[in-house]
Parts: sequence; C-alpha cells; structure tokens
Amino acid sequence: MTVASALEMALAAVVLGVATWTIAARETFAAVVGFVTYGLLLALIWVRLDAVDVALVEAAIGGGLGGVLLLGAAARLRVTETPTATERPSATVRVGAALLSAAVAAALATGVILLPDPAPTLAPAAAANATATGLGNPVTNVLMAFRAMDTMLEKVVLLLALVGVWSLAPDRLWGGHPGPRHRADPLGTLAFLARLLPPVGIVVGIYVFWTGKDHPGGAFQGGTILAAMWLLVMMAGIADAPQVSSRRLRIVLIAGPGIFLAVGLAGFAIGSAFLAYPVAYAKPLILGIEVAMTLTIAATLGLLLAGAPERSAGQ
Amino acid sequence: MIEFMTTVLGFILAMLALGLVRILRGPADADRMMAAQLIGTGGIAALLLLGTVTAVPATVDVALTLALLATFASIAFVKKGRANAPDSTGDA
Repeated sequence: MTVASALEMALAAVVLGVATWTIAARETFAAVVGFVTYGLLLALIWVRLDAVDVALVEAAIGGGLGGVLLLGAAARLRVTETPTATERPSATVRVGAALLSAAVAAALATGVILLPDPAPTLAPAAAANATATGLGNPVTNVLMAFRAMDTMLEKVVLLLALVGVWSLAPDRLWGGHPGPRHRADPLGTLAFLARLLPPVGIVVGIYVFWTGKDHPGGAFQGGTILAAMWLLVMMAGIADAPQVSSRRLRIVLIAGPGIFLAVGLAGFAIGSAFLAYPVAYAKPLILGIEVAMTLTIAATLGLLLAGAPERSAGQ
Repeated sequence: MIEFMTTVLGFILAMLALGLVRILRGPADADRMMAAQLIGTGGIAALLLLGTVTAVPATVDVALTLALLATFASIAFVKKGRANAPDSTGDA
C-alpha cells in the first residue's frame, strides 16, 4: 500500500467518523459544526475523486453558506432544545426508527453493490459530443446543453423555495425587508471585513463563473460566492436587504430562468427543438444564459439566507 | 519533491484530525467554532498540496473558494450569539 492510498483510506475513515458523530450528537449546535467540518473534508475527497466541479460546490455550500443557514436554525431552536433533550420516545418508536433506517441503508447498499460492472454511463457520449457547443468543460456541457431542461427547472425550484420562505411573513409585513436590520460598530472588525472582502470576492465569483466554460466552475459556484459577499455586507449593516416588493429585485430573480426559457422557446424557431441551440451560436447563447443565471442565483441564495420579511418598508 | 509534499499533506491531515477532537469534546460552542475554523484553514493548505501532488490545477480554485467562504460560519456564529443576548445590538 502506497503512502497516498494510505492517506486516502485515513481521510475516508475520518469523514465517516465525523458523519457518524454528527448524526449521534445530541446538541444541535455541535451537530451543525460537525456538519460544516464534514463539508470541508468532503471537498478534499471530491478533489481526490477528480470531481473538482463538485468540490467547488461542496466548499461553497457545505463549508460556507450551508453552515450560516444551519447556525441560524440552531440559534433559533436553542430555546426549545432543553425540553426536547429530556424527551425520550417509547421503545416501539425507537426500534421502529432503527429498523426503518437500517432497511433504507441496506436497500441503498444493495443497489450500489448490484450495479453492473462497468456501471451504465453516458460519460463517453458526453465526451464525444463535447465539441458541439464549443465549451471545454464537460460538466458545463451536460448542465447547459445536454441536460439543459434539468438546469432550467432547478432555477425555478430555487425561486419556489424563495417564495416558500417569503410566505412565512405575516400579512402586514408582506413586501417588507427580510430579516432583522443588522447593526454593527462601523469601526469594528466585521465592518472592516465587509469592506475588505467583497471587492476580492466579487472578482473571484465572476472568475469562477467565467472559468466554468473550460475548467471546473460555473454559474452556481460563482453565484454562491457573490451571494456570500452580499450577505456579508448585509450582516455588517453597511447595506440593508432590499424590500421583497422591489421591482428591480424581482427582475433579477426571474432573469435567469426567464432568459433560459426564452432561449429555449426560440429553439423552435432558430434551432431544431425546445432548448436546442443553433450550433454556430451555442457558446454565446450559453454564456448569455449563464450571466443571467449567476445574478439570479446570487440574489436568490442571498435572500434565502436573509429569511422571511420581518420589517415593513422603511423600518 | 512529490514524496515530500505527500508527507507534508499527511502531516496536515493528521493535524486536522487532531482539530476534530476539539469539535467532538467541546466543551463550549466557541471551542467547536474555532476548531472548525482551524480545519477550514488546514483544509485550504491540504487542497493546495493535493492539487500540486495530483497535478490538478483547478484545485487552487477550490482552495480560493474555501478561503473566501470558510469565515462565514464564524461570522454567523458571532452574530447569532449576540442576537440572543439581552442588549441585542448585534455588534460584532
């Protein structure tokens, strides 16, 4: 066994250990920190598996924004934690839950073990047709051309999730500002960081989106970084979250799926089918859609984390 | 050189595993959060070394993303921790 494979085994064992501990942890906050760490370590594993695109998402969501969301949830649930921790479900419920979990795990394991060898894959077909779009990154090819329908619908799902979060607002606050008004010491560390980091982060976000056409990266990863920078500015109280009734904001929110859908419908006229790009214009069309999607993803993720409207206009 | 870097990578991963002990044992929330930050920083180093050892240059972008976003959990932690305090001004 070489040093490298020994390291891989050790890393996999550590990640499994962290995962088990995160599930078993009684305290919500401890479990959240365990989960963030799990995301960080998982990014290493994805890199080792040559799935750098996935590693980027894991680093941005698992290690970054997901942690913020879960920490917020843990802080909100803290008051209810003590009563919940003292509750003990009956033996029947516990045995039933254990049996159900074991059955699901066994079914998944059987599914993986029974896969034919080599496993069915469309990867060679995707690689063979890579030149059709003029993009060098096969993952972007699949997401934006070969399975464009899925990607478009995913963006609609993000919008639905945002509508779901907004709908938690009481009627009188509908259309107001999401989340509390953050205030921070204008000369403090957080305000300093919120002025220092976003210029760098915005450049990195645009770079990650742009490099996605030929190398690992793309609209989702770039948009997540932009969303994080926006959140930082909001959390430091430098800029307030916009009113959810703002027309400009709503145009940004629907720009991504809207332009995607428009190009898809135009496929009937200029291409051969819905979402079929004419070969000569495939690359500029895909990049155009991705620019709009990056903005939409940044705005949607930022607002999802900002939460439901909690203040009426002007407050 | 590759052997040397693999060894250093192993050392950093061992340090990350040590950091995990603090997350597992706590006892305070802040201890856990700081350990997660340490693992974030170590993870960036491990990614950069891994990218060089395996000759996958795009790994640098993952390290860059992690460097930008790993601090966010701490920021949220500080904000949420203060938001629950009686004098809820949200200073950080």
